[in-house]
Amino acid sequence: MTAAVDVQRETPIGARRGRAAVGRWISRIPYAVLAVYAVVGGVGPLIIDYNPVRVSLDDRLLSPGAHVVSGGIAWFGTDGLGRDVLAQVVYGARTSVIIGVSTVVVSCLIGVTVGIVAGYFRGWLDTVLARGIDILLAFPAILLTIVIAGAFERSVLVVVAALSATPWISFARVTRGVALSVRERPWIDAARVLGVRPTSILLRHILPLTVGPVVALATLEFALVVLAEAGLSFLGIGLPNSAVSWGQTIANGKQYLETAWWISALPGIALSLLIINIGILGDQLTARYGRGHLR
Amino acid sequence: MTRPLASGRPRHAALTLIAAAAIALSGCSAATGGGTGGGAAGGSEITVAGTYAIDSLDPGSPTGGSATGTQLASQAIFSRLVRPRPDGSLEGDLATAWKPDASATQWTFTLRQGVKFSDGKPLTADDVVASFKRLLELKSTNAANFAGYTMTATSPAEVVLKAAKPDAAVPYKLAIFYVLPRSLTGEDPAFFQHPVGSGPFKVEKFDPSGTLVLVPNPDHYGGAPRLGRVTIRKMPELAARMTALRTGEVDLIWGIPDDQLAELQRDSKLTVGTVPSTAVFTMWFNSSAPALKEAKVRRALWQAVDFATIIKRLYPQSGTLADAPVSPVTLGYVPQEPVRYDPAAAKAALKAAGFDFSAKLRLQFANAEFRPFNQAIVSDLQKIGVQVDLLEKEQAVFTKDLLALNWDINFQQLSNPTFDAANTLGRLYPCAAKRNGYCNPELDKLLAAAGASANPDERVKLYGEASKIIWQDAVGMFPMAVKYAYAWNRRVTGVTPDPNGLPNFAGMQVSGS
Repeated sequence: MTAAVDVQRETPIGARRGRAAVGRWISRIPYAVLAVYAVVGGVGPLIIDYNPVRVSLDDRLLSPGAHVVSGGIAWFGTDGLGRDVLAQVVYGARTSVIIGVSTVVVSCLIGVTVGIVAGYFRGWLDTVLARGIDILLAFPAILLTIVIAGAFERSVLVVVAALSATPWISFARVTRGVALSVRERPWIDAARVLGVRPTSILLRHILPLTVGPVVALATLEFALVVLAEAGLSFLGIGLPNSAVSWGQTIANGKQYLETAWWISALPGIALSLLIINIGILGDQLTARYGRGHLR
Repeated sequence: MTRPLASGRPRHAALTLIAAAAIALSGCSAATGGGTGGGAAGGSEITVAGTYAIDSLDPGSPTGGSATGTQLASQAIFSRLVRPRPDGSLEGDLATAWKPDASATQWTFTLRQGVKFSDGKPLTADDVVASFKRLLELKSTNAANFAGYTMTATSPAEVVLKAAKPDAAVPYKLAIFYVLPRSLTGEDPAFFQHPVGSGPFKVEKFDPSGTLVLVPNPDHYGGAPRLGRVTIRKMPELAARMTALRTGEVDLIWGIPDDQLAELQRDSKLTVGTVPSTAVFTMWFNSSAPALKEAKVRRALWQAVDFATIIKRLYPQSGTLADAPVSPVTLGYVPQEPVRYDPAAAKAALKAAGFDFSAKLRLQFANAEFRPFNQAIVSDLQKIGVQVDLLEKEQAVFTKDLLALNWDINFQQLSNPTFDAANTLGRLYPCAAKRNGYCNPELDKLLAAAGASANPDERVKLYGEASKIIWQDAVGMFPMAVKYAYAWNRRVTGVTPDPNGLPNFAGMQVSGS
């Protein structure tokens, strides 16, 4: 222990700079990983052809790298019905990103609007909205999501709606906090005295200041939404069977965990990698822009 | 200004969510864990993992009476007049002898003497008659077997069942008729929470959402079973059942798919047995749906699915291509000409019949174990351009929709606890049954004649002719005859694989270890 400290003390400045550079590069890894997911999710489906309904029973449970009947190679193996796991991971990436982005956008729009209005106008409007938020916070998020998703027929829209049911609250709380403090600043008073309309004050003078914390929060929420979507699909109340989702693929591989680990493991790894990297990125952004415990 | 580095709430929410996901991903182990009184611990206690939910213990229930789970429980708790042996022949349970009159319209059952209910009251002919009346009044799905039948007690030890018309299948049909105390009328959920019966077991605890605990009935006429306690746990998840069997948490599971069978056969702690069952994968078409009205269309759809390959790949050990609407161990089995897989001909036939390829057919099924099979069918149908919506439903929703004909294609593993085609063909296919939208007066006539005849050979011949109509008009697809696979811990002896998936716990015992 002491030896290590001594060594560190004696490190020349050049080496320290080198280490800082390495640190900078390491901190960029999440960006690279996310870029890979975006490319795979965006371009992959154009290259790999996959139809979730079509099964190929002769290719059942092939291990990664095996040849399928049609001549190709199943790099990630095949599942219990002979469907390519690689294709499922690629198409699943697209599904996850689409669901994640649309849910975050929807909850962001709702949350920021509610938060900014509540924070700026104060008074009874704020009381109503803030108490409403408190009431919603009392529900366990995953339970509320499951109830909404389970009550309707399975579709992408329902999943987005169900997943948006709670994340908007965090956005609302964060933006409300920002709006509450910013509205007391001199330039807002000045604008008000000059007779600028409230809408313009909200959009021009308050909204831009919420961007930092909202972006930081959005990344964290994105990770949670992707995970929640996989969870819903795993439970069989998420996306319809015709859609490809990591959660479904993982669920399909459940009974083959011992004999064909790749069905559940590979999409699971893809999911974990994405979540971990978004989490790291979110922490970095929070450290830079976040305003802390406003939620 | 202080600027905390990370917000706490989202983190906390993230942890909660991850924990929730972890619980979900670990399957049902959480739901089934914590059973310290599990199989391995108890001396003569066994735990079995039921495949199907036991929603109710009422064998006469209008909605769930014929459900597999309820039947499994009922045959342990209640007695019947007669019961089938695993080979399909009948033996007396409450009845010691039974005989028809010359025309087979009137059946006389002599009752066993000295039988008592678990509450100590004697079981008499009046109880039998009252139970029969209740079965008919509640209009359970099984009651359709006895439309217009009356039962009377001619003496405390004898009942007479009078059929509306000659019916040679009466004893077989009665294999699903359970005798309950006469005081019971109507649906009585409170009674079935702690039912009183005369079967080998009594209910110690019943929780419709999961567990049924049975203890021996010391008053059983045949002597109390040797098992100290039987716990039937609901484990719908196959992986959970398999794991539980291997860890010793449960002692007996059944309905194991072929992919997993090899794994269990390698385990030296376990015994694996298969038995040809009465079950047939039955996929009715809803003939009342406009798209499926024509037999040509239904036949073409059947032709479009490569069942031989699907069975060879998914059920190499436990499935065989069915060649009749009933299984080979059933009375009334006559093999039919196999339907040849020919997608090109199927597509041409559908086009010729003006089939609407843009419409989606709804294929409903319950139980995840059948998902791969149905997915393979959907895939084959898609190859010829037929769009199918695969709907996996909860058992209760499935049954409700099934009876309401709220489907286009319905998948069922149809077993027949009576071993007699009267219970499947005779009950489900006449116009009056309204179970699949198909109606054919000629078929009605054949089924009525087959049900009425007292001569077994004659009955088989008539059911054969009826099967031919059902087969050729494709009232449904009949892809596969099923063998049930059972696996049990070696410490349990006396396990006889049951062809109906309803193992009889009374004969089992735990070998001393």
